[in-house]
Amino acid sequence: MTMTGAAMAGGRGDIARTSLRRRIENHPFSWLLPVAILLGVFYLYPIIDVFRLAFTNASLRGGEEHYTADSIRALIVNPILPDILWTTFVFTAGSVIGQQLFGLGIAVLVMRGERRRLYGMTALRTLVLVAWVIPGIANGLIWQMLFSEAPFGAINSVLRMMHVQPVAWLSDPNIAMLSSIISNVWRGTAFSMIVFYAALKAIDTTLYEAASVDGANGWQRFRFITLPQMRPAILVNSILITIATLNTFDAIISLTGGGPGRATEVLSLYTFNTVFRNLDLAGGSVLSVLMLIISLLLAVGYASMMPRREPNE
Amino acid sequence: MTSDARERLWDTATYLIAIVIAAFFLVPLLWLLSLSLRTRQEVYLGAARFIPKHPTIANFQQILSDPAFITYLWNGLKLSALGGIGCLLVAAPAAYAFSRFHFSSRSSLMMSILAFQMVSPLVILVPLYRYMSTLGLLDGHFGVTMVYIAVSLPMAVWLLKSSIDGIPKSLEEAAEIDGCSRFGIFWRITLPLVAPGLASAFILIMILNWSQFLVPFLLLSTDSKLPISVAIFTFAGTSNASSTQVLAAACLVAVVPAIVAFLLLQRMIVGALTAGAVKG
Repeated sequence: MTMTGAAMAGGRGDIARTSLRRRIENHPFSWLLPVAILLGVFYLYPIIDVFRLAFTNASLRGGEEHYTADSIRALIVNPILPDILWTTFVFTAGSVIGQQLFGLGIAVLVMRGERRRLYGMTALRTLVLVAWVIPGIANGLIWQMLFSEAPFGAINSVLRMMHVQPVAWLSDPNIAMLSSIISNVWRGTAFSMIVFYAALKAIDTTLYEAASVDGANGWQRFRFITLPQMRPAILVNSILITIATLNTFDAIISLTGGGPGRATEVLSLYTFNTVFRNLDLAGGSVLSVLMLIISLLLAVGYASMMPRREPNE
Repeated sequence: MTSDARERLWDTATYLIAIVIAAFFLVPLLWLLSLSLRTRQEVYLGAARFIPKHPTIANFQQILSDPAFITYLWNGLKLSALGGIGCLLVAAPAAYAFSRFHFSSRSSLMMSILAFQMVSPLVILVPLYRYMSTLGLLDGHFGVTMVYIAVSLPMAVWLLKSSIDGIPKSLEEAAEIDGCSRFGIFWRITLPLVAPGLASAFILIMILNWSQFLVPFLLLSTDSKLPISVAIFTFAGTSNASSTQVLAAACLVAVVPAIVAFLLLQRMIVGALTAGAVKG
């Protein structure tokens, strides 16, 4: 141990103070304290409280609160819930599959382009990433201007110019879901692309050389080397984007507002409406708990599919 | 066919697919730009006037001369920046501890911090709304900033931890021999060395805060306190077909700062990768 000059020159008190300071400084938890406090106040405590509120009749209107299982019972018999869950499932599955396939495709394309030293590959990568930083609200508004059935709707006005019947992108319940997924894929693909791009770069090139020697064609190399090597990246990415999509709220509220009817009202939007439109705090808490459970189950489910270290790998 | 010719055929295919992908990602933004430069009459002409015959910047003049709109932009910038600075101040010591200390619960604590990232802000806002109302933190920028900090903390801790991992310990060890305190080392040696990592994390968090909608939408009610993300949503709710060109301009103004900041960040990442924070 070294001693500071100040401590040596000072008296006993100084030494005691210095050593106390040392002990605080050398304990990792004192460095973690600010994070612990903030996450405790703004995450842990609210999460515990959401569980508590789920067992009450709390309302944002105020009034006396008592513990009851009525809110949970009300949700189970709620005839809307199956529709909401189905909508959430379709939106999430469509977005996750779309973003991953598209992201993987772009990553493979950019990698190939870079290997062959083609022009514009960095520009393409940047362009895809730019969509990712568009705020969710703006994303919804931009796609509304593309899907709109009014004269300024880009897609329909092109269709009209080609003498094709315009499509009710946002007012037909079945198509509105597809439109929401397309707009979400537009914004979300970048994340998958960059994860897959990094994973592709990390693959040992000698594997491909060995496969070429063995006479494997392009598809076989992709199927038997690229995909297995990328399995961990694909699974981690699946967890992250599934949960991000489940939590998506702003891009839907500004594109469709959950409509037409309830056609695009996903669980997060329904929870929001329950708490902040109907002021039903207890009901919203039950839905929040449901969201947490679904996220947890998904994370655990994906994690269990993670490859274990196999002897032949 | 020789393998060289086949490769060249594939190059053409690569270009063709790249153009289609680029179009998919570019057209929405170009359409927004096109609408924002049109007069009200030309908006009704749809795609036929993709390039406006009488382009005008009147829409931008209209929104940028509106003092309320400037306030929204300023609020957005202020909340994003304060949230970013606050987040780094809280996250940096923790990242340092995770990188430099060895303690048994380290990896499990890091995983539990990451787990918070999975929780939707909506879930925590349901009970927070009422608490902040009791504490008088509703409708103020302080409360919103605190929630912003908490929401971006998990990501910031992870980002900064990997940045600190990337710098050599030798300088810190030298400072320790010279009698520098642990905090002194962190403040005077580690943080300056990790400045590029701090800067990229700051810009990334600012971009995410700029997009943040739910937190300010729920916690703020006074119009003059709203950030731009909430303001364009409210504006869209009150606008109709005849003001689409103005909405497009407002949207573009809200989107451009995020894009510019991102392009800056991208260069910084590339710079950090090629130059390296410390050499030798």
